[in-house]
Amino acid sequence: MSADFKFSSLPKQPVPRFMLSPRRILADVLSSGWVESMIPFLAFVCVVVGVALTTENYFVASNLRNLAQYSADGGLIVLAMLIVVAVGGIDLSVGSNFAMSAFVALFCFHILGLPVPVVLAASLACGALIGATNGVLAGLIGCGALLTTLATMITVRGIFTLSSQAQMVEISTSARIDDLWDWIGFEKILTMPVGFWVLFAVATLIFVMFRQSAFGWHVLAVGGNRKAARHGGIRVKATIFLSYVLTGLIVGLSGFLFAARQNSISSDTGIGMEFFVLTALVVGLGGFVPGRGAVVPVLIGFATIYLFNNAMINAGFRGDFVQLCMGAIIIVILAIDVKFRKNRHRLLASTYLDPVKVTLEPTKGMAGLMPHEKAPKLAQARILGAGDLDGPEDVILDRDGNLYCGNRDGRILKLSGPDHSEISVLAKIGGRPLGLAFDAEDRIVACVAGMGLLRVTLDGAVELLTDQTGRSLMSVQDDTSIRMADDLDIAPDGTIYFTDATKRYDIDNWGLDLLEGRPNGRLLSYDPKTKKTRTVCDNLVFPNGVCVTHDGRHLLVASTWGCSILIFDLADLAAGPRVFLDGLPGYPDNINRSSDGGYWIALAGMRNAILDQAMKYPGLRQRMTKRVPPTNWLFGNLNIGGVLRTDGAGRIVDALWDAPDGPLYMITSMREHEGALYLGGVTNDKIGRLELADADRRWTGPQSYWGKG
Amino acid sequence: MTLEGVLGPNTTIDDAAGIKVEAPQALCVVDDALLLLSSGNTVLAISRWGDEPRLWCSFDQPVTALCASPAGAIGIGLADGSFAVRDKAGSALAGWGQPEGLASVTDCLFLSEEEIAIVDSGYRAGEDILSRAPWDEAGRGQVVAISRNGATRQLAAGLHCPMGLARDAGGELIVSLLERAAIVDLAGKVRQSGFPAYLGRIRATGTGYLLSCLSRRDPLIEFLKTETEFVAEMKATIDPRHWLSPRANPEFSHDFPIELGATRLFGEIKPWAPSFSYGLVLATDKAFIPTSSAHSRANGARHAISDAVEWNGDVIAVSRASGEVLRFSIARESA
Repeated sequence: MSADFKFSSLPKQPVPRFMLSPRRILADVLSSGWVESMIPFLAFVCVVVGVALTTENYFVASNLRNLAQYSADGGLIVLAMLIVVAVGGIDLSVGSNFAMSAFVALFCFHILGLPVPVVLAASLACGALIGATNGVLAGLIGCGALLTTLATMITVRGIFTLSSQAQMVEISTSARIDDLWDWIGFEKILTMPVGFWVLFAVATLIFVMFRQSAFGWHVLAVGGNRKAARHGGIRVKATIFLSYVLTGLIVGLSGFLFAARQNSISSDTGIGMEFFVLTALVVGLGGFVPGRGAVVPVLIGFATIYLFNNAMINAGFRGDFVQLCMGAIIIVILAIDVKFRKNRHRLLASTYLDPVKVTLEPTKGMAGLMPHEKAPKLAQARILGAGDLDGPEDVILDRDGNLYCGNRDGRILKLSGPDHSEISVLAKIGGRPLGLAFDAEDRIVACVAGMGLLRVTLDGAVELLTDQTGRSLMSVQDDTSIRMADDLDIAPDGTIYFTDATKRYDIDNWGLDLLEGRPNGRLLSYDPKTKKTRTVCDNLVFPNGVCVTHDGRHLLVASTWGCSILIFDLADLAAGPRVFLDGLPGYPDNINRSSDGGYWIALAGMRNAILDQAMKYPGLRQRMTKRVPPTNWLFGNLNIGGVLRTDGAGRIVDALWDAPDGPLYMITSMREHEGALYLGGVTNDKIGRLELADADRRWTGPQSYWGKG
Repeated sequence: MTLEGVLGPNTTIDDAAGIKVEAPQALCVVDDALLLLSSGNTVLAISRWGDEPRLWCSFDQPVTALCASPAGAIGIGLADGSFAVRDKAGSALAGWGQPEGLASVTDCLFLSEEEIAIVDSGYRAGEDILSRAPWDEAGRGQVVAISRNGATRQLAAGLHCPMGLARDAGGELIVSLLERAAIVDLAGKVRQSGFPAYLGRIRATGTGYLLSCLSRRDPLIEFLKTETEFVAEMKATIDPRHWLSPRANPEFSHDFPIELGATRLFGEIKPWAPSFSYGLVLATDKAFIPTSSAHSRANGARHAISDAVEWNGDVIAVSRASGEVLRFSIARESA
């Protein structure tokens, strides 16, 4: 069949390449994960700027190297503390452990004269042993973390003082020299000290551990909610125990680095370290937050405290004054951070909706066809499955006349033909099944909101085809996930074209997309041969129904809030869409082929003068969402819809409506099959079946697409 | 006030017994054995609940208000702003003056056997007062009095959509205002405000008052009052029938705006859905503090209660939306 229209003479539909809106950028930034660390980061920047302004030559390379050399062991201990805090504990013994490990290293190196690798092993073993003690008491036996580690802090300090006093002089007078020992203590790789690279490596490992390893996830889960973690099958006690051991191990490593650098210890080594480290942690995390393995923010917090402390001491302030200032500034940072965290979601909620002025084409081509001008034909429809269905957004029939629809509970239901009274479950998918289509092998391909594109065989086997596409260039937020797969159709070459109706809202609040009025949706394609998903056209206004034209050369896409039908040339998708039909009287949902070479268009709701006018007032819509309860927001009239029939060129030739209070009040999909029209609605609990007087009684959808099976 | 506490939802009005009446508007208790009700151009009478209403008298235009004097004279307001006075049997009583220049007669009350006060909302019969009132700032309403000797005098002017007239506990006249949702005296001084509804008539009972409500107030409409540019364009370009406003009927139409929470599920309107039409009768004490309420909720049909009176211990109310006269009892605190 040849096209009844000339594609090149249809008006072009402008599609923005990207969306630039300050409000959108702010909202996207606020909803991204890294914004959590913004206040600690700003505090860090303030400290850096403050120090740079007041201290000459502070940030020269030589001083930075110096700082890196001396801060590495503190940084390691902050990371060690992060692990126990993440698992829901605390370790006050890190200072004592640090001193003890350093002593063990020096004792092994100077007194016992052991080789450096063995010295390292001994330090690590010492740290791990103290960690294990904490782990056994706090994790396995279940003594409180605070008391346990307080006890080990005092005990280990005692052991350290007892054992080190006798050896201190001998250590400081030892003449042993070792190249590897000095290399660790003083050498540089790529201009930076070895200690810095150790810190970098450990930070990276912990970062990866929290992000990618099962153990890291278990630590976060236990810290987040111990009971839930236990119910989830995580071995809580073992996880806590191992966390303490890991912490001890890292502290041991830190002690070893300290020993190699300083070559000496004193009785006050590591005293007060636990509080310094806890302060850095709290500044970085914005509080004492278990279940959060934020490596970078914690290191930023550490750098802030370390630089501030260092710069003030360098400037010659008295130690007690420095402490006073530190305390005050930390309180300020924490107060701002806590306030920001509390209000961030409120700020996000009030900025997320980003309305824009929309001027719709006036309704056209509907003379004599509006609901008040026509007898309600849908009132003659027979009702199928009343009360047994929940939201059949799309309906489809196979070659044998069985009817399928998606259900709100995530199942695909089968209403067996010919009378469709027997309902069975074809497949359990989850998500919210929306658009359906049959492929050439008589399998159902389904768009599932919240999941993506899935394929279901008539035996009920479910297979995920795709759930993400490429990231768009100009987006702050990651938009690779397909958020609301809505409808699809399959081209003769097997390529599946489907819509992701909105990238900013979900199935539960998709109505907000109307109030926003922005082009938030996209048309995607999936090639089953290459298994590649591609974004065909981004930035469409709520692209919804998809239909390959009868000749298989073009693609119709309904733009719901645009009240229009767009058309793409399948041979030249890059050319973008043109307008097939606009000025519709309502909000088009799915589009499907009719037996006479035309198309059926489902109207999910109707336009009205007030909403059309409100779409021209973005400020009003913005203010409304702030001042009016959501239930009272002005909205599109989704209480009345219907079906339009067009000819092959897109002229509206008929309209089917139900009585205003009738059962088929809103229509989101319709399929013609052997002389009858089947009608589904996303908020309905029934399907309508209307006999079509003048339709081809042999025509079926699968046959129209794939020929005789 | 919000629809909580004593104003919390119930289904009293939807559950009430009802009599179908063509285009009812106003009620009037003459005595325990005679209740008059307006129906289009006619006034019907019933002696007992359950009786078939009988024709009492008829006019050449819609009857919009009814009142009775202690001695049994009946005042009848008509849609064109004219007024008639009849005796208990329906025969005309001579000598009464005709008010001049009224847009409508919304309510009336005998001040004595010699004088009747008449409320004029300022809106003509053809103008849909519910559509227009929220978007009209001008106070066009007035209260006038006509005498048996033919004299007329103006008691109050510049009122914003006055709908009902009654006497307070001290005998002073008070007026219910539709859109301002308040009760004021003739000087315009507010006696009680903040009602959650668009007020219709106010009727004295033994313990206080019955307030009939034409619809409930809506946060979206209240919000839009601050959007002057939008409202100006709406008034200039859109037919008042399709304005965003309270409505009398809970009908579905493709060209009415709806609110987000009003979307139907499985074809049903949720009772708690926001709606532009509503059925509500408030019982108040003598200080106009609500003591109880009767509702027809968003999914009900008996909306736009234009009048509610007490008759033989029951509440008799008029639902303009369903075209019914209803009888129910409303729980009231004893005064």
